[in-house]
Amino acid sequence: MEKGSKEKLKIGIYELTGCAGDALLILDCEKELIDMFKAADIQSFLMAKSDNIDGELDVALVEGSVSTEREKEELLDIRKRAKTVVAIGICACFGGIQAAFLDKKDWEKNFKKVYGDKKMTHTKPLQSKPIDAYIKVDYYLPGCPIGKEQFLSTFNRILRGHPPELYRFSVCVECKWNENDCLLNKGIPCLGPITRAGCGSICINHNLPCVGCWGPVEEANLTSEFHLLREKGFDYDFIKKKMANFSGTGMADFLGELKGEKK
Amino acid sequence: MKKISVDHLARVEGNGGISATIDGKIVTDVKFSIYEGPRLVEMLTLGKTPEEDVNIVPRICAICSISHKYAALRAMENALSVKVPAKVSLFRELMHLGEMIESHSLHIYYLALPDYVGFPNVIAMAAKFDLEVKIALEMKEFANHIMKTASGRYIHGENPVIGGFGKFPSKEELIWIKSRAIHFMPFVLKTVSLFCELDYPDCPEEDTVFACCNPDQNKYGIAGDEIILSTGEAINKEDYKSLTNEFVVSHSYAKHSRYKGEPYSVGALARVNNLGEKLKGEAGKMYKKYFNPRWKKNPLFNNAAQALEILYAFERIPKIIDKMRQLPAPAIVLYKKKDGKGTGIVEAPRGLLIHSYEISGGLISYTDIITPTAQNAEDIERYCYIAAQKLLDKGKESKIRDRMDLVVRAYDPCISCSAHMAEIKKAPLDDWRTKLDGIIKKGLPIFVGIGRGNRSDDRAGLELALELRKQGVTDVWLESEIIEVEAPWKNKPHRPLVFIDALDFKEKPGKMILLPLHYIFSNTVLSHKLLPFISSDMGYERLKNSFVLGIQPESIEEGMKISEPVRQALEKVLKQIMN
Amino acid sequence: MRIIKLKKDNLFPFLEVISEEADLWAPVKKGDKHVFKVVDDFSQIEMNSTRTILPPRKIFLPPTFDMFSVSEEGYKEDFSHITKKILFGIHPCDIHGLLILDNFYKQAYLDPYYLEARKNTLILGLSCWPDEYCFAKSTNTHIIEEGFDLFFTYLKDFFLVWIGSSQGDDLVRLKPELFDEKLTDKDIQTYLNWQAERDKAYKWDLNFTAMPDLMELKYGDPLWEKLGDTCLACGSCTNVCPTCGCYNIMDKQFLGGKDGKIMRHWDACTLEEYSEVAGGENFRKKRSDRLKLWYTHKLQAFISKYGKPSCVGCGRCIVACPVDINVRTVGKALLGEEEDAFWIRLNKEVTK
Repeated sequence: MEKGSKEKLKIGIYELTGCAGDALLILDCEKELIDMFKAADIQSFLMAKSDNIDGELDVALVEGSVSTEREKEELLDIRKRAKTVVAIGICACFGGIQAAFLDKKDWEKNFKKVYGDKKMTHTKPLQSKPIDAYIKVDYYLPGCPIGKEQFLSTFNRILRGHPPELYRFSVCVECKWNENDCLLNKGIPCLGPITRAGCGSICINHNLPCVGCWGPVEEANLTSEFHLLREKGFDYDFIKKKMANFSGTGMADFLGELKGEKK
Repeated sequence: MKKISVDHLARVEGNGGISATIDGKIVTDVKFSIYEGPRLVEMLTLGKTPEEDVNIVPRICAICSISHKYAALRAMENALSVKVPAKVSLFRELMHLGEMIESHSLHIYYLALPDYVGFPNVIAMAAKFDLEVKIALEMKEFANHIMKTASGRYIHGENPVIGGFGKFPSKEELIWIKSRAIHFMPFVLKTVSLFCELDYPDCPEEDTVFACCNPDQNKYGIAGDEIILSTGEAINKEDYKSLTNEFVVSHSYAKHSRYKGEPYSVGALARVNNLGEKLKGEAGKMYKKYFNPRWKKNPLFNNAAQALEILYAFERIPKIIDKMRQLPAPAIVLYKKKDGKGTGIVEAPRGLLIHSYEISGGLISYTDIITPTAQNAEDIERYCYIAAQKLLDKGKESKIRDRMDLVVRAYDPCISCSAHMAEIKKAPLDDWRTKLDGIIKKGLPIFVGIGRGNRSDDRAGLELALELRKQGVTDVWLESEIIEVEAPWKNKPHRPLVFIDALDFKEKPGKMILLPLHYIFSNTVLSHKLLPFISSDMGYERLKNSFVLGIQPESIEEGMKISEPVRQALEKVLKQIMN
Repeated sequence: MRIIKLKKDNLFPFLEVISEEADLWAPVKKGDKHVFKVVDDFSQIEMNSTRTILPPRKIFLPPTFDMFSVSEEGYKEDFSHITKKILFGIHPCDIHGLLILDNFYKQAYLDPYYLEARKNTLILGLSCWPDEYCFAKSTNTHIIEEGFDLFFTYLKDFFLVWIGSSQGDDLVRLKPELFDEKLTDKDIQTYLNWQAERDKAYKWDLNFTAMPDLMELKYGDPLWEKLGDTCLACGSCTNVCPTCGCYNIMDKQFLGGKDGKIMRHWDACTLEEYSEVAGGENFRKKRSDRLKLWYTHKLQAFISKYGKPSCVGCGRCIVACPVDINVRTVGKALLGEEEDAFWIRLNKEVTK
């Protein structure tokens, strides 16, 4: 099935602003890494190699949020060069933790608090956003970081010209498969029902509530979850912050509407 | 309130990262830039609960995520007066050692070794070093397994929480880790020899200050409550700011640090330099065998130090597991305190990591996070500068780029930026003009003319100073006056200070160059006569705002005549200033 | 059916003998709930367990398993997860659950993995005592007459053991001296008293006879929209249900020319993707429509076809659903008896 080197798909892996966890996770595929390099023509992967080329690509995998003007330009260039763009990780998909500032004014105020009035000479800062704020994204691979199994399966399917096949349901499904007792039912604030599966419900397996780090599931019933937590005795602001911690722009509409509606 | 938004500095897209600007035979500028965008992580934690902070902050950096988690936990537990049982501390040490092995083996084998054996990446290197690459991969995988066992997954696991762990591993899991650790020992010993015996170039080589955590009980270790320096000084963790003194630089979203105005280094090399004598067992033997005074001067030895620390970790793991197995799994320690202040320090693989918080009414009201690379940034720039200038002096300009790459990579600032960074720029024509204009814009400079009146072109500095005075410029001084009176720049840190001097940098006579004053420190070409002026009372603020305007003399033979090219140069400068 | 007696102290020696050639699965504690697990240390077995978090179907068709390995030569079925097992401690309602699954997988849609696993698993039932969630008496699944190899009724000092199959008989014959063939009148009276007490212990019931008609009559009721607005679409009701059996398949291919796998995982009609077809069209996009489908299946369709509901009254959905959407509250609402539930409170809260 393996094609000759000339026919290998040209792939680029790019990192914008984030923790680099998704690229690191790819490096953590120790056993499969060499096969990956054999099966595809990895044109660019800064974390793994120094002989990178910026040319035409079949697939670009992009990690991180867009947080500077320079990144925005780079992203636009990647889109131009690549036939398919895949957002990998929560920062690329939803903006990540750094996109939790919903209000541009808040962001500007905070930026000033951190950096003062110093004029940045290297690149203009931008309020962090997911990559689809600037370009069309073909596929999304969620995670913080992405999961090894899902990544390898996606990489493989893409090499064979198929779209990714991912779990589209919430963490609760995997959590039940792992036969955990529901923490929400015990009054522990768990974001499992509104969070995308794929992590294997790892936190609940460790008796800890889901923090929502894979971002919202497509059909997240935020209203129900919010009121359920309210009824379990949690404070309005506490729930709102908890939902906002990892969801970036993913729950922005819902959280925005909540504004001002105290108690 | 000083803040750093993001550390790991990692990722440098395209060609960025470190750049050196060269003007003829002089390196005029070295900048370690981080193109990573601002994330304002510290601001994100404000108003959150301590538990949420512990979820969020590891996302600063994937490769140091456990160190971030550990530092945050230590800080929170200090602030909230939570004392954790021994088994919790042991399990945390185990996960931390897992990260150390993972990060170090990734760095030395995947990123550093290809440079020294001449391959573009580890995959290409595998063709020749098949066995090493394979076993190194296995070692990294084993370390990942330890982190997964302790934290829940390879990266950003949530099992470690304030007061303990969500879940402890089974006896079988612990035994497996122990036996596997022992099984790796022959390869680990080989690793130490391999990296300690690599032929590290002797440029750059120069003293610096090393800082790291001082572990308890006078042992080698990777966490503690006190910072020790290679100068012998000790700093309590709560006083960390007297070490770090963070400041914003315009070329990076990561802040920089200096100790008493001087760059300092953190990381494996700092730990081995400061604590190496305390290493026991095989690691102690290897330390005695390989350690030499060059380790204290040459950042490239960080690779050797990391290899040594891998050995330390592999020897430590079985001991931790033996102790853990004797203890029952404790429940998470709960706390009631809602207010407090606390700092936690640990050694991330790439050096000292500091988290400091204030909690008011159960929510975070102040956060300060200082990462290793932020602390190393200044020394990275300094060593790159030294390397670039020395290679230039020897006429090996073509080697500068690779050498700077080696230096930056040795610091292991984070993985992707180690992969592709260096850039060499040619200074634009008459670069001094733009720079001088920039200085004058910041504030009226204090000018000091340097030179000897009876040595032809060496008079240039004095002559220009006198001319400036004649034209009505205030605060212009001559070298001789400075030595007599108290430094006129005292208490005026915001006024730029410009020394004007004839400097022999082997260029065409009359060529001018404008340099930061501290570049003079480590320059083999430039005259050292400026050094008396750079006294120790010249603090960092002062130093940062001080410059040298050098003019290439034609002759400094005895005589009173200034050569024609130098004369023309002086006129140009005068015109520029008077404009 | 032959009924014999086993002294309480003889249970572990019996389990010891029979588990020599097969894995013994039994309920053990997990937190304050129970789960079926392989046990080596019999003292871990919970003799008075309530419902396990997941139903015993996980032992026959695990939540995820590899169905096929794939190579250039083609597909090869993978039965490697199927081993010889003895399932001890399964309650009557759950045995009924397996019999209902048999209707799909052994008759309607032959499933080789289910058939193979069924063939390799011996069922050793155990009596139970209802708690506040059980309603197996309403579904008439609180007692069992078939579907087991042995069934143990736990009567304080001894067990009455029903021998339900020749394989069950073979087990007893491995160590016949552990059993008493003869029952005394006192033993029989003890059993009858126990059964009468147990019948009385069911704390609530639901009128299942009315359900098929009510489902028909209230198909357009606003009730379903209320349920849909609250449902978290977490799939828990479906995953914990002993009679649900839908699944999805996924490719797990490997790089470097190695074999790939086709993986099968539990699916749930309460999840959004379930009713999505090629082209992205979804004919049950709304949660309310999906809940209707689930309840139609449990309370109506199965009754019309097999004469009994596909609910066995185990109470798992009542325990599992975080927003109280379960056979109890939905059934009661269909009957017009409003019970307190989060989904009712939420609707009042949101419309307020």
